Amino acid sequence: GTTAHPADGGSKLETLFAHPLYSIQTPALGPEERLVQAEQLMEYYRRKVSRWERHMKLFSGAAALSNTTLIGHEVTFDPDASWLKFHLGISRYALYSRDDPAVPQLLKDMARMRVVNADYTQDEKALKGTCDCTQVVKPSGHHLKLALKMHNFAKAMFKPMRQQREEQTPEDFFYFVDFQRHNAEIAAFHLDRVLDFRRVPPVAGRLVNVTSEVLQVTYTDDLRAVFFTSPANNTCFFAKCLYVCKTEYAVCGSPDLLEGSLSAYLPGLSIAPRISIPNPWIRSYTFSGQEEWEGNPFYCDTIKQLYPYNSGNRLLNIIDMSIFDFLTGNMDRHHYEIFTKFGDEGFLLHLDNARGFGKHSHDEMSILAPLTQCCMIKHSTLLRLQLLAQPGFRLSDVMRESLEGDPLRPILTEPHLLALDRRLQKVLRVVRRCVRRLGENGVITRDFVKSTERPQ
Amino acid sequence: MILFRKFRVLILMVFLVACTMHIMIDLLPKLEKRAAGADSGDGGCRCARHPGAEAQGWGKQRARSPAEAGWPNKHTLRILQDFSPNLTSSRSLEKITAAADAADAFGRTSPSAGKAEDHKPLIGDAGGGRTAHAHGVSGLSTLFEHPLYKVDLPPLTDDDTLFNVNTDIRFYPRATGSQGWHNEEGNQEEEEFSPTGEVTAESYPNWLRFHIGINRYELYGRHSPALDALLKDLVTHRITSVAMKSGGTQLKLIMTFQNYGQALFKPMKQTREQETPPDFFYFSDFERHNAEIAAFHLDRILDFRRVPPVAGRLVNMTREIRDVTRDKKLWRTFFISPANNVCFYGECSYYCSTEHALCGKPDQIEGSLAAFLPDLNLAKRKTWRNPWRRSYHKRKKAEWEVDPDYCDEVKQTPPYDRGTRLLDIMDMTIFDFLMGNMDRHHYETFEKFGNDTFIIHLDNGRGFGKHSHDELSILVPLSQCCRVRKSTYLRLQLLAKEEYQLSSLMEESLLRDRLSPVLIQPHLRAMDRRLRLVLQVLAGCVEKEGHVNVVEGNLAGDTVTHRSRGHR
Repeated sequence: GTTAHPADGGSKLETLFAHPLYSIQTPALGPEERLVQAEQLMEYYRRKVSRWERHMKLFSGAAALSNTTLIGHEVTFDPDASWLKFHLGISRYALYSRDDPAVPQLLKDMARMRVVNADYTQDEKALKGTCDCTQVVKPSGHHLKLALKMHNFAKAMFKPMRQQREEQTPEDFFYFVDFQRHNAEIAAFHLDRVLDFRRVPPVAGRLVNVTSEVLQVTYTDDLRAVFFTSPANNTCFFAKCLYVCKTEYAVCGSPDLLEGSLSAYLPGLSIAPRISIPNPWIRSYTFSGQEEWEGNPFYCDTIKQLYPYNSGNRLLNIIDMSIFDFLTGNMDRHHYEIFTKFGDEGFLLHLDNARGFGKHSHDEMSILAPLTQCCMIKHSTLLRLQLLAQPGFRLSDVMRESLEGDPLRPILTEPHLLALDRRLQKVLRVVRRCVRRLGENGVITRDFVKSTERPQ
Repeated sequence: MILFRKFRVLILMVFLVACTMHIMIDLLPKLEKRAAGADSGDGGCRCARHPGAEAQGWGKQRARSPAEAGWPNKHTLRILQDFSPNLTSSRSLEKITAAADAADAFGRTSPSAGKAEDHKPLIGDAGGGRTAHAHGVSGLSTLFEHPLYKVDLPPLTDDDTLFNVNTDIRFYPRATGSQGWHNEEGNQEEEEFSPTGEVTAESYPNWLRFHIGINRYELYGRHSPALDALLKDLVTHRITSVAMKSGGTQLKLIMTFQNYGQALFKPMKQTREQETPPDFFYFSDFERHNAEIAAFHLDRILDFRRVPPVAGRLVNMTREIRDVTRDKKLWRTFFISPANNVCFYGECSYYCSTEHALCGKPDQIEGSLAAFLPDLNLAKRKTWRNPWRRSYHKRKKAEWEVDPDYCDEVKQTPPYDRGTRLLDIMDMTIFDFLMGNMDRHHYETFEKFGNDTFIIHLDNGRGFGKHSHDELSILVPLSQCCRVRKSTYLRLQLLAKEEYQLSSLMEESLLRDRLSPVLIQPHLRAMDRRLRLVLQVLAGCVEKEGHVNVVEGNLAGDTVTHRSRGHR
């Protein structure tokens, strides 16, 4: 990247990460503060690998009989795999630590590693092939995404490109019919890291060969059945329900290569269970309906009385999430997930960000409702936001630089990057207005990170 | 007590309605169906409108078409009989008036004509100085003055017209103005448009005049005044009710006008500049309203006159669709978008979902209005499977794609073994190739005329999808059969000449539409390119098989040239 570096030659991103605000360390982690234990994870991994090898024997036997071509790939058991380290590094405070070398390694691995298997994701399988074309809001399993398995057993969710970078969400689209954008997934990960939230699992872009890396390595007949060759001789495939209902056409490679985002899987639910909780500021998901928060400016007062928002950091975490979503323009945050192990004090996972970055010319202020209505914000979050508004650390510049590292660069067009700065100013303005009304002590809340060490 | 009284009133009402119906059935046996249909209009006993099936009498008759009978089998699943426009046109026996008149007549509403003039120089400039415009002479009127466009039809007998004016016209109860009708539905209709009791051909609404004008050889006369009046009606007349067309793959609405004329509305789904994505199959392509309009004009310039009249119109979605429909299913899909536009998506099998909602700006939507053909009950139509139908399958190929001698087989199969049918197919092939329409799976004829009649070119919405691509497989029937009508061949050669360039004629013709520009320049230029390709194919045929075996003479009054089987 040449343009990413400021004129003075230094990297703004490196300077940012070297800033004292980004060097506050969390307390040393005891085993209880880690999500998974090494032995447990290894055991799980070993079991998976041996089961896979058993299956492969069966498959190759069956394939030889039916004369189908399956490119069988060997898997390797690798105790140093980057995805294992990523899973082991998940703690009570974040998905990964700032200097964790496993994360850049995992990003590289996902972008390059050999794919040995492709399959539908769990939520699609859970629908068991039922398509209800009258549904206005499609369940998430309806969207086109696939689970890819790498040769060292790393798993990633593949979301193919649906829209050109320059295209915006049509103005008449509701948030619940918007496209899923692969570049939004990638950009959301980088933004989350720049904001130092570290609540989005690593996402990397990749040019996937849909023939050799999906069609030829899937053992699911349903998935193989949705592949076809288009009149322009491209390999295409589609999401069955959306295709049957004629709401969406297929995605096509050119002729085989297709851009997409790969986001790392979290540890399996059997070893690290999660729960999904409705967002208190959920939208109505209808054409005309309104939720209570949209009409009631004192909605937050009610929420503050309710468990689990009546104590601890949970409400502040929701506000962090709303700031994150406002910056990306994602209106589709109906649920959030937390790890059960860490209880109510755990951080919120920002999963599924593919509906962000749809309109660069519009700032959807209603996403900020939790902040405007509750008028509180974590001190650490505010300090970082203020830092990113300074010219030396300008959010758009650090994002541009950070996104340069992705194989599919450019990930965001310039108007989207500049919109980040504009939206950041709007967040800060909302905070200033709150401070004027309620005073600094009522708005800026000290959180646990702040209490461990003092920044300058 | 109140309950009891209500009950009595109800009984009385039911009795009254029953009586009325009875009397009507007795008095107007022939109108029975229609009467029932209209009854549904006044909210009486039949108000349960079957939305898809347009529960009026008109709809019921249409419902007999194979495509609408229940949930059809695989082959009829796609709509075969797409629309039955209704319009009026000229009596076909009309003398050909002066060409200048014709051109005048073609110009429709005065506002749009005015607009056309405004645009002409601009677009002419953009097109790189077209000769016809430079001289200030209408290329179209010059074209229609050409001797090739003055060939008379053979004399028509009663068997050659679709309707016998004296005997058949009373089947149109609304037009002949039975007073019962008028009183019942008349409250909301303006008197001025109510049909009069007098039955003279001139007082018929234009759509009826169009129907009466249909004959064995054409849908409308070359210089039919009713046609222009009808095109104007389509754009200006008040829409009194709207229903969804059932059986089709994509959303279409049936609109009924104040003079009881009906038209098929196809809303705008794509902008003019959008092209069909390269990965789309022909059967998943969108239907384009501008293709419908352009197809009508092209058909007319080619002098086929086999496409029912189509006009573009800006429709107010609130006042002209939502507020006048009694179709609950349609009404329910209206919503206000985040950008505060009125949107709806209707119910159909292709692209009827929120993702493909049709949105106005804020409530105006463009669309094409195609006049209905006469009701199937009055003029039955036959649906034929196109021998060169595509497979409609992602992987399978059709027989004609693998067998180079396919045409020999077709030539020996009735009805292609005699008469003009094969030549009609060739005409249609050329027409479709010029538009790039790959979706011609079926065609229709009027049953009354038997096998010696033209093919109606219905459903052209999938043309004009790609201007940068010429789909040569559409021309396969022509290259396999190597046959063409002499009149068509001569006209194609004429249209390839500089002074009669097809694209500039089309451009001029399309300027008369309200939604002008209907086609962007690249599409217009593509037609010139494709025309040359057609002529190349024909030249190749002539070289290979000799002129007499390729070009079928039909100009010397021998319209019904029978080519005997042994001739080959």
